[in-house]
Amino acid sequence: MDTGVVLSRKQADYICRDERYCLSMQRYKGQQYSQLYFFRLHTIRQNLLSRIQERWPSLPVCKILGLEEGQLCVVVGTLYKQMQLKPSILEEYSKERSVVPLATPSKFTHNDDYLIMEDESGRVKLIRDANLPSFYVTGVVVAVCGKEEKDGEFFVQEILEPGLPPQIPLRSAVSFDEEKFVVFASGLKIGGESTNPLELQLLLDHLTGHLGEEEEQSLSSQIVRVVIAGGSVDLQTSLSNGQPLSGKEQTKLVEPIRELDLVLTQLAAAMPVDIMPGPNDPANYSLPQQPLHRCLFPGASLYNTFVSATNPHQFELDGALFLGTSGQNIEDLEKYSEAEERLDFMERTLVWRHLAPTAPDTLGCYPFTDRDPFILEMCPHVYFCGNQPSYASRLLKGPSGQQVRLICIPSFQETSSVVLVSLKTWDSHILTFSANSFQP
Amino acid sequence: MAMRKVDSVFPKRKNANVGATVGKGHSRVTKKSKDALTETHEGVSSKATASLGAAASQPAALIASGNEDVYEEYDDMEEILRQFDMNLAYGPCLGMTRLGRWERAQRIGLNPPQHVKDFLERAGGNPECLWEGRV
Repeated sequence: MDTGVVLSRKQADYICRDERYCLSMQRYKGQQYSQLYFFRLHTIRQNLLSRIQERWPSLPVCKILGLEEGQLCVVVGTLYKQMQLKPSILEEYSKERSVVPLATPSKFTHNDDYLIMEDESGRVKLIRDANLPSFYVTGVVVAVCGKEEKDGEFFVQEILEPGLPPQIPLRSAVSFDEEKFVVFASGLKIGGESTNPLELQLLLDHLTGHLGEEEEQSLSSQIVRVVIAGGSVDLQTSLSNGQPLSGKEQTKLVEPIRELDLVLTQLAAAMPVDIMPGPNDPANYSLPQQPLHRCLFPGASLYNTFVSATNPHQFELDGALFLGTSGQNIEDLEKYSEAEERLDFMERTLVWRHLAPTAPDTLGCYPFTDRDPFILEMCPHVYFCGNQPSYASRLLKGPSGQQVRLICIPSFQETSSVVLVSLKTWDSHILTFSANSFQP
Repeated sequence: MAMRKVDSVFPKRKNANVGATVGKGHSRVTKKSKDALTETHEGVSSKATASLGAAASQPAALIASGNEDVYEEYDDMEEILRQFDMNLAYGPCLGMTRLGRWERAQRIGLNPPQHVKDFLERAGGNPECLWEGRV
């Protein structure tokens, strides 16, 4: 028999900060998105004005209608990127129906895209060297310094972005001597055709400590929380084609949710779990996605360790701020702008101080009138993004001493991997499970 | 969809444009001014009042000439409230109640004029913005 060493799981203080993303008290009264854009422009402009004073103290800040030709000045506004390949609902009516495109592009950038800057008074086209439009997307608020040309276009000399928001320094009083880990998983895709249930079970057994010797179990005992960043189920929606479903078909349709509930019950019995909705999960489509309903998880929701979170999700663990999404914002940036890596997109959203600048233009969003919940006021310590094609991580250092760990969480269905982040050293590493025997 | 209450208690004013009250699929408003005075206004010269309550970013040309419908029976209080609606500094007016827009402006530090709030709360000003139900 075992010697019976009892390993107890470490704990961390958790505070959920999802109130800003909750829509429980909102009622749609027919408002339009202009209110959201106004609030975004106003809030980020307030942040930019102090930075403009530092950078260009002698130049005046003008409204677009107040621009004079040839005068060097600073303008603050929202960018709009005019893209010819961007899918437009009007084109469906104007084009001939017989012309079928050979392939639907997944990237809509083009060399002829150009940027327009807009504020409350008007818009003006921005011109500069060619790389500028591919970097930005619609919805970003920036300040530009330049002068208006003869033909009414604005020649940009310099651009100023809002920059990383301030970060609360980590409380040094909390002892970080003991190693604690947070596990990030994403894209479990339970119920999908190419999902391997054995690897998922391996993951569960490892996390709950039912696997391995004392060494692996002690690693599992240091895991304080599991965050599932979207993509948890893969529902066979082809079954629901408008015909009334028989009892058997209904059961088949909801089978993945039942399996997910079983998985979460096992997890929640062992450790705190946060689950976020993802792109194809049974939650609302537009951001911010509301928490998956408790009645979907009759087993897991009985545990107080089970937290159903919004997407985006923000929480504090031992004083450190974690913020992340299930990947829709970065996917949209990928479609409408260029960068070398997914981490570059994540870094840009932090520097632009906005989680999802393309909302509501190309990303579904609720038409808020009194706030824009995606504006970042505080810089997180860990910024994660789920459902990415591969694992990537970077430690971003800001000009005022901010330090952010950026993480791209790979899809578990494709890579059988989860990401561990250490709360002591802020390192991240990947944990891969394989049900196949090792092939050298 | 905004629902308009047609006020049938008070008789229609004789100066109201007949063409305007026939709706083209929209129900036009014959909203009575709560003011007890029954003075009629015919095409108020808005150019003179374009600067009432306006902030720096407000181009006067916006209120120069509009649809005749807009001039159906309104008084000075409504004029001030419309100026508040049209002021660009407080954001778009459509889709929000005037009081909601005032409170949002207050919350984000734009210091909207207090008398607008008094009109809306106490003097019975029209809670909906100028374009509500018309656009």
